[in-house]
Amino acid sequence: MSIIKALNITKTYNSTAVPVHALNGIDLEIEKGEFTAIVGPSGCGKTTLLNILGGLDHPTSGEVSLAGTNITTMQDGKLIDFRLRNIGFVFQAYNLIPVLTTQENVEFIMLLQKRPKKERDERALELLTQMGIADKASQRPSQLSGGQQQRVAVARALASKPQFILADEPTANLDSHSTSALLDIMAKMNKEEGATFVFSTHDQRVIDKARRIITLEDGQIISDETR
Amino acid sequence: MLLKLSWKNIWRSKLRSLVVIGSIIMGIWAMIFGNGFMNGFIVSYMANSINHDISHIQVHHPEFKRDQEVKYNVESGIQKAAEIRSWNGVVGATTRTLVTGMISSPRKASGVQIRGIDTENEAEVTRLDSLIGEGTYFEEINRNPIVIGSKLAENLQVGIKSKVVLTFNDVNGTLTQVSGRIAGIIKSSSLSLGESYVFMRQEDLSRQLGIEGNIHEIAILLGPQVDPQTIVDKYKSEFKGDLVETWEEIAPQLAYMQDLYGSMLYVLMGIILTALVFGIINTMLMAVLERMKELGMLMAVGMTRIRVFLMIMIETIYLGVVGAPLGLLLGWATVNYLNHDGVDLTAYSEGLEAFGYDSILYPYVADEVYLIVTIGVFVTAFVGAIYPALKAIRLKPVEALHKI
Ligand SMILES: Nc1ncnc2c1ncn2[C@@H]1O[C@H](COP(=O)(O)OP(=O)(O)OP(=O)(O)O)[C@@H](O)[C@H]1O
Ligand SMILES: [Mg+2]
Repeated sequence: MSIIKALNITKTYNSTAVPVHALNGIDLEIEKGEFTAIVGPSGCGKTTLLNILGGLDHPTSGEVSLAGTNITTMQDGKLIDFRLRNIGFVFQAYNLIPVLTTQENVEFIMLLQKRPKKERDERALELLTQMGIADKASQRPSQLSGGQQQRVAVARALASKPQFILADEPTANLDSHSTSALLDIMAKMNKEEGATFVFSTHDQRVIDKARRIITLEDGQIISDETR
Repeated sequence: MLLKLSWKNIWRSKLRSLVVIGSIIMGIWAMIFGNGFMNGFIVSYMANSINHDISHIQVHHPEFKRDQEVKYNVESGIQKAAEIRSWNGVVGATTRTLVTGMISSPRKASGVQIRGIDTENEAEVTRLDSLIGEGTYFEEINRNPIVIGSKLAENLQVGIKSKVVLTFNDVNGTLTQVSGRIAGIIKSSSLSLGESYVFMRQEDLSRQLGIEGNIHEIAILLGPQVDPQTIVDKYKSEFKGDLVETWEEIAPQLAYMQDLYGSMLYVLMGIILTALVFGIINTMLMAVLERMKELGMLMAVGMTRIRVFLMIMIETIYLGVVGAPLGLLLGWATVNYLNHDGVDLTAYSEGLEAFGYDSILYPYVADEVYLIVTIGVFVTAFVGAIYPALKAIRLKPVEALHKI
């Protein structure tokens, strides 16, 4: 069974003078364990699609099922809880809570899920070790480099073992060295923990690391290849 | 978890939080200090009035109050006063002969109440002797020594040993003139003592009025914590036919003032807390708006609206939690310090004394005021937090973040 299933998704923004048809009939299935990139030129609808797949925005028409649950008509309050239990997010920026330490940030989702302290600590340290930043556990985000901050964000997304992780241009603010380091870690976690990643990018080096590449243009899928 | 996060959040912008905490401290301090000051005023005013002027209980002929006619005397008043002095709880009782008249100096004249007093017992009851600022308490003048207030002396342009003439109707309605000399001048902040009363020895006045041995008023001073009503009851059971009143009946404005000042505390609190509420709304709104992206992220990853709402509320309450004890402590310390030493308002007392206030005040604050102020501040913080907190949860994660 697919973990993400989108049926004939359209999205029209009406807030502008001329309505913008950001997505024009997207059909998409993503299986557990995939490592998938959504690519395409700027304005093709990558962010819009990820928002809808993550339950952060509602499609204008079509249906989205996540882990067997139809979220299309779910209310906002329920959706927050659904996201908390099922989806990990990595944003381009503003991922971390500046007043908390690295470790507390990694534990944050588990804390919201009310997991016991022992489990949280063990999981956070395990992930920080795998990310190579265990020594930064008690530092604040502002003391970390951009690449390290994004690794903390990935660790936080992974910590609660969600059904899948969505990342919209997670490397957009990183230099090339940090970009490949972050992608390597994501690939490693995909392999070792079987974590499902869907990320958007227009960076060719990132695209090269993906196993499945979905290309959008004008709100439509123009190619979908798995290597 | 929220508690810890909120606590850390308020220290993100140290200066801003400190400004709010500072205004909470100042607000609480001002409320407590203002209340203490007002209490100081009213206590000194009431103590002045009771101890130097009206006493706790007064006895008159039932008709005297209405007509103030010389013939309405308290029957066997002098003997009654002597007996009252032996009662438990009574500090002193004195008799007075009263007549309305005029005092004139060679330069000016003024309408006054002339009070023929039992000098010894008057000193027990109103401590009139202690108020003499200039001259003596009915000494050094042989014929008709007179004591008046400093304000009146100023008006009449008279000094010690100056000659004055008193004019009044005697018991038969005959216009009578008596000349005397100023023996002493009273220094008092009280309005009536300062300019409306003229004191003579009782025997001098009674003789001129033609009512020797009769008096119009008995004034009774009680010990602290003695309920005037018990003495009134005792009087009524011992002696019939007289009008006996407590200070609250004689001067309802005093009791009234106490209430008025009480409600002024709430007006003061209202003003300060309103200012505080706007300060808090402003600050917390800034705190929310500059964290839009972060709040959007929190809601995107699964922090519920209730939790976000609570987080903002708790942050605000924390500001109160830090500020309130400091403000209370500061207010308490100020009031206690001033209560010990008194606040000397002599420099500004010109205006105050005209209203009958003393120039040294002893501020004090009732315990429950601290509680009321604390509750007021927390309610204010709560109210001030609601709007910013609502603003925070109305954010849409996608819009706040712009991008996931
Ligand atoms: N909130 C919005 N209101 C109106 N139009 C929007 C809104 N968000 C996106 N759009 C429009 O929808 C289209 C798709 O935008 P989207 O952000 O999904 O593209 P993208 O592929 O993520 O682009 P980029 O690579 O620049 O991030 C664009 O034409 C954009 O201008
Ligand atoms: Mg985008």
